[in-house]
Amino acid sequence: MSELAKTPMFDEHVSLGGKMVPFAGFEMPVQYKNGALKEYTFVREGGAGIFDITHMGQVRVSGSDARPFLQYVTTNDLAKLACGQVHYSALLNDSGTFIDDITTYKISDSEYYLCINAANRFKDVAHLQNEAKSFDVNVSDESDDTTLLALQGGAAQTALQPLVDTDLEKIGYYKFAQVKVAGTNGIVSRTGYTGEDGFEIYIPNAIAVAVWKQLLANGAEPIGLAARDMLRTEMGYALYGHEISDSVTPVEAKLMWITKLDKGDFIGKAAVEMRRAEGPEQRLIAIKLTGRGIPREHYKVFADGVETGKITSGMFSPMAGGVALAYVKPEHADAGALSVEIRGKAVPAERTTLPFVRSNVRR
Amino acid sequence: MTIPADLKYTKDHEWVRIDGDIATFGISDHAQEALGDIVFVELPEVGRSVDAGEAYAVVESVKAVSDVYAPVAGEVIEVNEELEGEPEKVNSDAYGAGWIAKVKMSGATLELMSDDEYNTFLEE
Repeated sequence: MSELAKTPMFDEHVSLGGKMVPFAGFEMPVQYKNGALKEYTFVREGGAGIFDITHMGQVRVSGSDARPFLQYVTTNDLAKLACGQVHYSALLNDSGTFIDDITTYKISDSEYYLCINAANRFKDVAHLQNEAKSFDVNVSDESDDTTLLALQGGAAQTALQPLVDTDLEKIGYYKFAQVKVAGTNGIVSRTGYTGEDGFEIYIPNAIAVAVWKQLLANGAEPIGLAARDMLRTEMGYALYGHEISDSVTPVEAKLMWITKLDKGDFIGKAAVEMRRAEGPEQRLIAIKLTGRGIPREHYKVFADGVETGKITSGMFSPMAGGVALAYVKPEHADAGALSVEIRGKAVPAERTTLPFVRSNVRR
Repeated sequence: MTIPADLKYTKDHEWVRIDGDIATFGISDHAQEALGDIVFVELPEVGRSVDAGEAYAVVESVKAVSDVYAPVAGEVIEVNEELEGEPEKVNSDAYGAGWIAKVKMSGATLELMSDDEYNTFLEE
């Protein structure tokens, strides 16, 4: 087993009572001393939660072919992305299944910045560098030098504003700015994974601890991975390794909205078109237990008494109860009588709509 | 973290209070702390017989599902129904309001530790 990596905030996490666990090759805080529920509540009730998500990867794509290259290797349409804008996108393989889901930041026509999943970092970079051989483009993995903090919740802007030289009010939802953070160049985007207003802050490792401490001094509180997963599941946001993987396409994962079949050729396009024509083998649905229990990943889902699929993410939501995302057979996607098998018992459930709780992102 | 002197403990971090032939079960302070925020407790049915060491209840935290094992054998005569609505009592008062079940003892028991022995066990 290789040694786990530590982010620059490691000592801060420990001193704040962080319970450190292995996660995507890093030692990360699953919760701090107050526990996941209090952390979750703090973010949902208008605080400013600070998340160390430095484990995630960052890749800079630059060169005269940057745009045609990304148009070919990602699913979303770069023609619709303006400078200073971010969009959600994906890397597919030839089979149309997911290599990763990513966010793409457009700095200019010849420079883009990608945020990728920690567990997929080396796979993604190898794939991008391999595909880049046919283009005049440079793919540079900046993950080791970059700290990524997410600041999420109603008070996020108030906590962050004193640290940056730009009026954050001017950064709209899924927009970003290259700013000075604590006097050093960084990127701040109004993006996140919680359903609350907030920012993701990309800074060099050298100033990470100083920025972290200053945000805490401005009223932010640290939030661990457990609460982060609760917040994202309540929104129904897909997570690689759960709802999306190299065995599903955007058709099954309900991610056709980031897969633009009318933009020209891209890796995986033909396979996705074929899957769409044939119809998916399974469909992702949102369910809510009507009986007592907590639906969890891998639990079996039944429709009209017949096993139809499995849960990919499930949780106890303080606001919505037992909620889950699950893949089911297409013929059962609209079934009324669903149940989840929990410890051998069928617990009744119903199909519901996403998000499970109201989103407060700034539209 | 507290370890009351009037209780006995198991290596699975359960506690038992023995009063005549009635035993009250719960999980230790150490166990609730290790689990984190408890959000669901599945209680046994009254009238059920449990063997010593048998899983008789389930405690679920935000991230984990844990079986709870009976320190002694017997018949379940009462369960703490308050935990169905307020499972967090296991976190806030593990040895009091967070009790899980009461059984009428029928003899067999696991190896039980005193508070001092359990404290030593935790330190090992």
